Amino acid sequence: MKKFQLGEFEEVVLLTVGVLYPDAYGVSVKKEIEERLSRKVSVGALQSALKRLEDKGYLKSSEGEATQERAGRPKRYFTITALGRKAMEYTKRTRDELWAAIPKMALHPKMTGI
Amino acid sequence: MKAQEPHPPRFLLRFFRWFCHPELQKYIEGDLLELYNERLQQSSKRKADWRMAGDVLLLFRPSIIRPTQSVDYINPHDMFKNYFKVGIRNILKYKVFSFINVFGLAVAMSLCMLIILMLADQHRYDAFHEKKTRIYRILTNYEGSRQGYATSPYPLAAALKTEYTVAEDAVTLMPGVGGDATYQQRIATMRGYFADPSFFNVFSFDLVQGDKKTALSAPFSVIISKALAEQLFEHENPLGKVIDFSDRQLAFPLEYDGIGAAPVKWGSLTVTGVLDPTAYKSHLAFDALVSTSTRQALINEKKVEDLSNNWEFFYRAYTYALVRPDKNEDDLNTALSDLVARKYANLKFDQVKGFNLTGQALTDIQTNLQGNDVNNRLPRIGYYFLSILAAIVMVLACLNYTNLSTARALTRAKEIGVRKVTGANRSALVFQFLSESIITSLLALGMAVMLLLFIAPAFKGLWVNQYLNFELPSTFEVYGIFIGFAIGVGIVAGLYPAFHLSLYQPIKALKNLGGASAGKLGLRKVLSVSQFVVSLFFITTAILIYQQFKHYLEFDYGFTSKNIVNVQLQGHDYRKIANAMSTVPGVSTISATDLIPAGNTNNNCEVRKMNTSGDYISMGKLTTDENFTSTLDLKIIAGKNLPAVSDSTSRFILVNETAVKEMGYAHPADILGEVFETKFGGELLEVVGVVKDFRYRLLINQHEIGPLVMQNNPSSFAFLNVKIASPNLMATVGKLEQTWKRIDPVHPFRYQFYDQQLASLHQGIFDLVSILGFIAFLAITIACLGLLGMATYASERRTKEVGIRKVLGAQDSSIALLLSREFVWMIALSIAIGAPLSYFVNNLWLQSLPNRIEFGMGILMLGVAILLALGLITIGSQTWRASRAKPVDALKVE
Repeated sequence: MKKFQLGEFEEVVLLTVGVLYPDAYGVSVKKEIEERLSRKVSVGALQSALKRLEDKGYLKSSEGEATQERAGRPKRYFTITALGRKAMEYTKRTRDELWAAIPKMALHPKMTGI
Repeated sequence: MKAQEPHPPRFLLRFFRWFCHPELQKYIEGDLLELYNERLQQSSKRKADWRMAGDVLLLFRPSIIRPTQSVDYINPHDMFKNYFKVGIRNILKYKVFSFINVFGLAVAMSLCMLIILMLADQHRYDAFHEKKTRIYRILTNYEGSRQGYATSPYPLAAALKTEYTVAEDAVTLMPGVGGDATYQQRIATMRGYFADPSFFNVFSFDLVQGDKKTALSAPFSVIISKALAEQLFEHENPLGKVIDFSDRQLAFPLEYDGIGAAPVKWGSLTVTGVLDPTAYKSHLAFDALVSTSTRQALINEKKVEDLSNNWEFFYRAYTYALVRPDKNEDDLNTALSDLVARKYANLKFDQVKGFNLTGQALTDIQTNLQGNDVNNRLPRIGYYFLSILAAIVMVLACLNYTNLSTARALTRAKEIGVRKVTGANRSALVFQFLSESIITSLLALGMAVMLLLFIAPAFKGLWVNQYLNFELPSTFEVYGIFIGFAIGVGIVAGLYPAFHLSLYQPIKALKNLGGASAGKLGLRKVLSVSQFVVSLFFITTAILIYQQFKHYLEFDYGFTSKNIVNVQLQGHDYRKIANAMSTVPGVSTISATDLIPAGNTNNNCEVRKMNTSGDYISMGKLTTDENFTSTLDLKIIAGKNLPAVSDSTSRFILVNETAVKEMGYAHPADILGEVFETKFGGELLEVVGVVKDFRYRLLINQHEIGPLVMQNNPSSFAFLNVKIASPNLMATVGKLEQTWKRIDPVHPFRYQFYDQQLASLHQGIFDLVSILGFIAFLAITIACLGLLGMATYASERRTKEVGIRKVLGAQDSSIALLLSREFVWMIALSIAIGAPLSYFVNNLWLQSLPNRIEFGMGILMLGVAILLALGLITIGSQTWRASRAKPVDALKVE
């Protein structure tokens, strides 16, 4: 059953929003992902992922302060909702279950050698 | 002071703001700017700009782009109803303006609709063939020819079928059947093609009676048209009946001035089928199809020429190829050029240089006229010409609408303000004004359909249409196109006013401070002036062409054409007919000739002085008898007339003055007795006399009179010129007809009065005058309507001013002058631009016309006077009315 829909990039974004709490907004999330995962993230990809997550109800946003370097444009802070938490937990749990179900031999092929 | 901070390229941000969802815009923009500033610290501005551009481009994705409908979208149905209601109310409230708009659009539309009808009519040709997309007619062309030929070499179809795979089938249509079909006592003229059984495989004609598979197989079988069957067999069943056929070499498929030959009996033809060509709209028309296998028997009897291996002679046969479904035009053309390369490598004839064969799609035939074609049609250039004229008139009418709507913007300003304040955005207002203009143009459509009821028959009645055969039937599809067209016109006409009016700021509009002050005309002036420039151009052009037409009609040909009747000999011996007719009382002289001088056919010959090696000189050639000079009142200025017919007469010739000069003689007398040889056949010609120059070619074809040779050769005579002395022309012609009937009871007496015949040659020009005159009339009508609207509006706007001025003691005339000044100035400007323009443009084409008139100031002045008169009447009617109004009424206006 597919209870929670969460793509790989969406999961990364969701987790990063959690990591950055309470300072998760566009630029900080982008930088965090780029730093930790050393992968390039475009503003477009990130924003559309954030919008999808918000539409699914995993994230909620609030308008933040406007600063000098943003030429007066407000920030938009994201926080994880209860549903978002459930989705994260569900994903993690399914991954753990899958990990647990892998036989040891499969991951250590050397041991099979006779 | 703070230094200017570097900022990202404005267009990037503007682009981003344009596409971004409004809810997300400010946040993402903030992110972008933050990143930009950060990058600016790390690297150069250029790099930061580029990276920003990349970011913006990557943001252009469905989840970020704004939805197409505006966010605050309310139930549109009620608004539509409101737009419609307001639109109708506005039209009804300002009846004068609405009428001007509707009428102007309708007039132009009806013209455009006529063109649409014509195009639709042409589009229906040959649409019934099931395989029409695969049928190609093969055209012939060679280097240096003026246009391609619709005909191709006779053996082509057979070669295409047997030596190439590109064509599934091919059919040759060979004209050459033209004579009298006889059944029992009934005789009818029958013209048509030789065709083989492939005809029915390529084309989708159906037989009313008979079997398509076998009808054209056996020799001496014939398929006749339904009309011919009714003529010959009346109520009998034509199938299997045998008709006698004598060929008279009647011209076919195009009817030129009917020159026939003495009848040759072909024998009996068996009717194997009846076809009704009138049931099909096709470029092919015929009375009969004779099986191609008949030709072999006729060739054996030497009654027709054997062309089955003749690749040089490409004037006689039409070839149609049916291309295989998996092949296309390119494949066909490749095969054809390969065929030409193989067959023509060792041939030597005049046109072999650059000789080529190409396919012409069947659907393209109707609008793409070729040389040697099967019928007369309006060539493509004609459609372009008419379409351009119609488009110009349509644009003028649309300008009117634009002009009047923007002029009247002030009356709508309050409404726009209220709508905007209550939440209408710009697109809604644009939509509203567009729907209004579409309503107007649909009303115009209704009126245009009525106008079309008058224009279409007038067009069909034009002289040219007897050759072009436009039927112009109206079908549902055509009406569908009309409605689409009207909506298109509505949008085009309303676009500028819609965008202009919807731009008003609500506050300004409500306070009536809008930018549209009545005094400033700007763009509207430009539009009006351009309308009058175009009108003036059309008026002068129409007058000019009319003058040219009159010039041709009154032209001095150098011979008498009055009271001469040209009688077609139709293959009879000229002496027999001439002798019989000379006994008719009232006939003064009778002469014979091979073609009508100054008509649309010519003959040429090439001559040079005997025993010299110089170039041959090309001369016009007329074959006439000895009476010709006296019938046409030609003056012999040196030597004597042609000798009467005897065996050696064809040696003696008359030449004209130009020929004398052309051959290098100073005086007409010097050429007498000189002997010339001709290029082909080397026949010797001895000059016996010199005639005064006269026009022997069509005026529109030749400016100067060229050299001419006249020779007495009875075998080629095709016309009698009967000069009538009695004052009662028709009575004499009636007697001539009786004489003809006695000699030839079968064929009708065909004659034309020479002067009328010459006049009718220029009838096409008069059609052009009619068309251009009509369009000039439309253009000036539309321009005046526009002017009327603007003048009415201007005087309405200034009613109060007029009232005050009058109270203060202004004269009626000075007020009329005040109100008209602006418009008079506009007309003056139009004339200043239009007059030189029409002078130069018209001179461009006039210079290339032979026997032209001088385009003098007179024509230009007449055009200007017409324009000025109409324009001043239009303005005056309004301003005079306004200036005469009672000041009390004027001051009460609010």
